[in-house]
Amino acid sequence: MSPPSLFHRLLVANRGEVAVRIARACDALGVEPVFAYSEADRDAPYLAGRRRVCLGPGRASESYLDPRRLVQAAKNTDCSALHPGWGFLSENAAFASLCEAHGVTFIGPPAHVMHLMGTKSPAKRAMREAGLRVIPGSDGPVTSDEQARAVAEEIGLPLLIKAESGGGGRGMKIVRDLDQLSQALADARREGLAFFGDPSVYIERLLEGGRHIEIQVMADRYGNVCHLGERDCTIQRNHQKLIEESPSPALDPEERERTLALAVQATRQIGYVGAGTLEFLLDTSGDAPVLRFMEMNTRLQVEHSVSEVRSGVDLVTEQIAVAAGRPLSFSQQDVTLSGHVIECRINAEDPADGFRPCPGRIERWVTPRTGDGRIRVDTHVTSGYTIPPHYDSLICKLIASGPTREAATQRMLEALAELEAEGIRTTQPLHQAILSSEDFRANRYDTTRLPTFTLSAS
Amino acid sequence: MSSRLHAERRQALVSRLDDGELELRSPTVALWRGAPQPGTVITQQGSLGELEVLGVLSPLVAPAGVSGVVTGEARRGAAAKRPVEYGEVLLRLAPLGALGNAEERAPGEASASTASWVFRAPTSGRFYVRPAPDQPAFVTEGAHIERGHTTCLLEVMKTFNRIQLSGDELPQKVRVLRIVPADGDDVEQGDPLLELGPA
Repeated sequence: MSPPSLFHRLLVANRGEVAVRIARACDALGVEPVFAYSEADRDAPYLAGRRRVCLGPGRASESYLDPRRLVQAAKNTDCSALHPGWGFLSENAAFASLCEAHGVTFIGPPAHVMHLMGTKSPAKRAMREAGLRVIPGSDGPVTSDEQARAVAEEIGLPLLIKAESGGGGRGMKIVRDLDQLSQALADARREGLAFFGDPSVYIERLLEGGRHIEIQVMADRYGNVCHLGERDCTIQRNHQKLIEESPSPALDPEERERTLALAVQATRQIGYVGAGTLEFLLDTSGDAPVLRFMEMNTRLQVEHSVSEVRSGVDLVTEQIAVAAGRPLSFSQQDVTLSGHVIECRINAEDPADGFRPCPGRIERWVTPRTGDGRIRVDTHVTSGYTIPPHYDSLICKLIASGPTREAATQRMLEALAELEAEGIRTTQPLHQAILSSEDFRANRYDTTRLPTFTLSAS
Repeated sequence: MSSRLHAERRQALVSRLDDGELELRSPTVALWRGAPQPGTVITQQGSLGELEVLGVLSPLVAPAGVSGVVTGEARRGAAAKRPVEYGEVLLRLAPLGALGNAEERAPGEASASTASWVFRAPTSGRFYVRPAPDQPAFVTEGAHIERGHTTCLLEVMKTFNRIQLSGDELPQKVRVLRIVPADGDDVEQGDPLLELGPA
């Protein structure tokens, strides 16, 4: 029996670097991508010469976040599948259901699994039952200040309030003093509602000084589940990841092997299909460091490229093939994780001015050489591109590899030196400072404390 | 299933062309049915057919103040569904002389503003007058505020920024004469946020 045929046409329900990444996979598979775009992205270079459909005005709620417009756009252009990318509606189970109801294949896990993992409290429960360790916290969402206070008194300060339907660091508030509790709850609820359409929040003990480590998994409809190793995303600012690397320089081999195996088992147990990430915190507060499950992202992530480079697996083409009903093209034995890989996120933000977002026109844009196969550049911008104020500030990802961490770091520093972005401020100098610092090389940092560095005044 | 849900009316988007004709555009991604034939006179709020979004039909109408006669050649099969995208041109209307829509518009700039100072947006973004939907506004017209007072939230690239009143030329205390953008408006860097007078 021949494998199920792929989609003829696929709607790219995203923008920027994400849209470019999905289209690359479509091109490789011979699937025609159709770009859904907003008026603010009308002149984006990646749309030139492509089949496309305008969704609405620049504001996301009337374009990239409007489920009905997206599904109708897929229908209008005869797309039998839709790729949500990451961000926007990628973790919205109701959107996945809407796609299926109208005969459009949603590239992602089944809606019920998405819903289970998207609501954070049931996800924690499912993962605990699958054998993973979790972070102590409220049993489900908290609905009142009084209940929150009771949880706080039980598990102790400091606390982290998190949006039940959240992710990506949005809708999270730290509480160190019980007097701050009701204000923090209100703030987290507001952000949860603004970003995820759900004001419910839950509480966890804030584990400070840990490392953020996540495991990439890929599953098909036939129960085959593989992992592509872990990523260390400890270098963050305000819960926004800046640098990701694999393997983690902080994880001992025993805890790695144990958790990778459990992650695969848990993924299979919940009936997961597609690309997913299990996020953990490496809790160093006890005698031996322990990975504690935080949440599962039921989508591709920004930093998926790190695992792609290290494993040689194209996660987006696998996603599309799996959604079409094909089995995984590889098994765990086929996966060889080689060398060390580092990714830097280049954001249009000014690190010298409190990371102020810097929308505006890029006068000149030059990306580093990639000829030696050790640098990958994922971007959607070009010279003359104007970054709209409506969306995320990520404009480029640089991914460097080498046989060792030192070699990958050195190669990344060369690439950063070659990157030119005139007309806007970016996080480029921040990355140069971090990667050059003694703390980075000696591995002295955690999620709350960037490696110590000095930003040269520019 | 023959019964169909009917949703609220949608108004077409309008742009005025140099030759005086009007272009009516689709307000969303949809299937457009029942397009009026050339020669049809469209009055304001008049029917332009229906928009179908995921099986739900909405009457499509001309916005208030827009009327004219549909120009162009008659198309066969105009009653069939046509897939349209947001902003796609649906019809052109030639103005009807007799109806003579008023062309006058409000002057572009606020006339004879009495403001002593204008506080402008430090960055482009979306303007919010209150910290949360159920909370009071940061400032109200007529209020006295001091430098450093939070005036609004600007949402820039998914980040909410509290914007404090600042400006070298401002006295320590001022009175708010007018809040310029409406809540939820998109503003550009340098757009006026507040018109201010002496306290």
